[in-house]
Amino acid sequence: MLLPPSSHPLLCASPLTRLPRHLLSLAKYRQSHVALSAGVSASFRRHQSLQVTPAPSRWRSPTVLDSYVEKPARPISLRQLIFFGGRNLDDKRIINSANYVRTELPVRLAHRIRDMQKLPYVVVTNRHLSYVYELYYEAFESFRKVPEIKTVEDNDRFCEVIKATLKEHLTVIPRLAMGVLECRDLLPAEQLDKFMHSLLRSRISRRVIAEQHLALTDTFNSPFHFPDAPIYHHGDFVGEVFLRCNAKEVVERVGAYAQELARKAHGDNHPVPEIIIEGHMDTTFPYILSHLEYIIGELLRNSIEATIEHHGSKPDLPPITVLICHAPKHVIFRVSDQGGGIPPEETEDLWSFAKSKRSDLARLKNFAQVPKMAGTLQELQPEPAAQTSLHTLTYRPPDLKLGMGLPMTRVYAEYWGGSLQQTSMEGYGTDVFLHIEKLGNRLEQLNIDHL
Amino acid sequence: MRISHISAARRLCPRVAAPLRLHRCQSSITTANLPPPLAVPPESLSLSEWSATVEEELIKLASRPLRPLTLADLIRFGRPPLSPKSLLASARFTRENLPVRLSRRILALRNLPFIIVSNPHVSQIFDNYRQSLRAIIASPLHPTTPAEEHKFTETLTDIVKTHSNTIPTLARGFLECRRYTTPAEVTSFLDQHLRERIGTRLMAEQHIALHLASTTSPEEAAAHTAIQDLGGDASTYIGTIDTALQPARLIHSCSSFVGDICELRYGVRPQIVIDGDPDVRFPYIPVHLEYIATELLKNAFRATVEAGATDPVRITIAKDPYSEGISMRVRDRGGGISPDDFPNIWSYSFTTFSNAGDENEDDALGRFNTGVASVGDGSSIAGLGYGLPLSRAYAEYFGGSLQVQSAYGWGTDVYLKLKGVAVDTI
Repeated sequence: MLLPPSSHPLLCASPLTRLPRHLLSLAKYRQSHVALSAGVSASFRRHQSLQVTPAPSRWRSPTVLDSYVEKPARPISLRQLIFFGGRNLDDKRIINSANYVRTELPVRLAHRIRDMQKLPYVVVTNRHLSYVYELYYEAFESFRKVPEIKTVEDNDRFCEVIKATLKEHLTVIPRLAMGVLECRDLLPAEQLDKFMHSLLRSRISRRVIAEQHLALTDTFNSPFHFPDAPIYHHGDFVGEVFLRCNAKEVVERVGAYAQELARKAHGDNHPVPEIIIEGHMDTTFPYILSHLEYIIGELLRNSIEATIEHHGSKPDLPPITVLICHAPKHVIFRVSDQGGGIPPEETEDLWSFAKSKRSDLARLKNFAQVPKMAGTLQELQPEPAAQTSLHTLTYRPPDLKLGMGLPMTRVYAEYWGGSLQQTSMEGYGTDVFLHIEKLGNRLEQLNIDHL
Repeated sequence: MRISHISAARRLCPRVAAPLRLHRCQSSITTANLPPPLAVPPESLSLSEWSATVEEELIKLASRPLRPLTLADLIRFGRPPLSPKSLLASARFTRENLPVRLSRRILALRNLPFIIVSNPHVSQIFDNYRQSLRAIIASPLHPTTPAEEHKFTETLTDIVKTHSNTIPTLARGFLECRRYTTPAEVTSFLDQHLRERIGTRLMAEQHIALHLASTTSPEEAAAHTAIQDLGGDASTYIGTIDTALQPARLIHSCSSFVGDICELRYGVRPQIVIDGDPDVRFPYIPVHLEYIATELLKNAFRATVEAGATDPVRITIAKDPYSEGISMRVRDRGGGISPDDFPNIWSYSFTTFSNAGDENEDDALGRFNTGVASVGDGSSIAGLGYGLPLSRAYAEYFGGSLQVQSAYGWGTDVYLKLKGVAVDTI
């Protein structure tokens, strides 16, 4: 049984009101450790607007970072995530989970920071990329300085730090994308793509373990939690992992939303293609629901948009067919549309972050809109949803074309060992195949040094 | 006969067990070991004796760059009926390029391991190629009269006929030798060989067709190229190309043929539905599309029947707005391809139809016999495992592509893209 989002454990515990106080305390914390006062006011200003005067990067001794870069990341599989929080969530388990997160996050952040440090100077000093760099470094510093967690109260404090950082980092994706676009002429596209890809994968990994821990803590703290009761009472969620993602339900829900967005964009009277679902209708599997919603949402948005663009306002728009197929080890989604296909010269660049058919100026302008969406989220959505970064992307307004839906979805799809492939019949339509590994046995699909 | 062949092979190329790559045999060795040229007319020499005399020329021909055959090449001599001058131009073009192609194949074959080329089937093919080269270079290099052109076309017709069974024969030979080689070696050789064969054969067939269309009555010409069988109309043909080929019509005829086999074998005939743009037409070589469509339908029908599915096989045809080509998707509900089998679908001789891993020689040969014997008359639904890789070779020959996507547990989608040629450039 799927819990309505408003009573989801994560949401209950994160009122917006706590935020400014936290920023204040973080700022004060930084103030006492910072040589240049410009750094503090700049970091505070960051949260106010995007017109940031880039703080000159503080020089930090690389030796601290070195020691973390040397440590390997410890990957975790979906199955492990489920079983970890599954039964008997008691003090000891929560504290273990907290310490895993406490030590993992700085290691993974350190690897990415080192990656950035190796990029050309001119690239990292781009205002957007340097913003992300500073954000990452500060997160690294704050997490590595957290002492070992020994009590439940320690964990509660730690969770506040996590929440604050997650909130602060909401804007990373659009900032990265803007930075990559602005640096197109400074570095070969393949290198930029590789960099973006590895940063995104690592980001997913950190957020998965962080958000999972937060959700477990909330479950643990919630008044309905009995340590000995099976976790299934809480609606089949183990943290962020939904044990019983019903493929058909997800497609229907996300599809309906995508159709509504299309109507908002093109006018309520504009015809919108139907979404037909066929195949194994009772397919159910464990997955991180927000990931699944994002991927399917992107694919359906693309198909709807393509169909409308290709056929105009003809009353009988050809439908989009979604096939759900389950095999012993996989779940396969096939999204077929008749949106005219993709011209051959665009096919190679489809998966690239650095290249896109959309004019760069338009994209840059659109990206600047994304951070403001966190505030307007309530208006847009029929129901309030958890304020995770992925949700701001999944539920972004229809005319916000970012031009990187496909490469992003691929990163998410491949994250747990799945794959995303697209075949186009020019002049007719496109078929996209999404393969998901059912049992989630594969360790996070990261090279250790890309975590 | 066999003995002299072996000793000739030894004399010609001491390093017969070299890797599958073209390489020159040192001519100094060969001329040193050979007896002085015989003072007899060339026609009376045996094949191996003749081979020995042309070794140098063979090497020279094989080292010339391979000129890929494009659709534009095929139509550049004009629309039939061609003038005698154009027909001669076509003949000269063919006479110039064919020996290069044949020589390359001869060298590739003789560089295969000795044990493979000694196999009677493979050695038969090897002889065929040498025989054909011999016949070609015996004809004048620059034909100037209609009589010469006519004789040349007759030679071509013979050659085409001789080589029509190359694939099943080679396949049988490789199967018998599977213990002495690896699938990777076989795939690598066959990929190259069969792709070059497509071009060589097409070059010959094109000239023959142009000749017939220009010098004989339309009925005779049509009969030869089986235009009517393919539902065409002679006025749209340029040799082997139909400038107004309608894929939907071709697919209907292939599907009825494959359906017949299905009925014979399984007692069931799967249906097809063609959607998208069935009226689309484009310039292409009908026999190529016919081969590809037949193979894809065989796969789809077999999967459908074996899965007990009742849904028809859906074929979507679309005209490519950016070129003269088409896209085609064949979608079945035959249960899909398992992840274990998927990596092997492009290997030659991979087939789940008959497991030729048996130690019992008779059994493997016996079962295979059915496949080989009936490939000629096409009464088997599967068997060689060459269908997919060869179809892809045909599709890619003129810049097209063939891709397979599978939803294991449901069905398979095959995507075929073919480029046509802008025919108004004539």
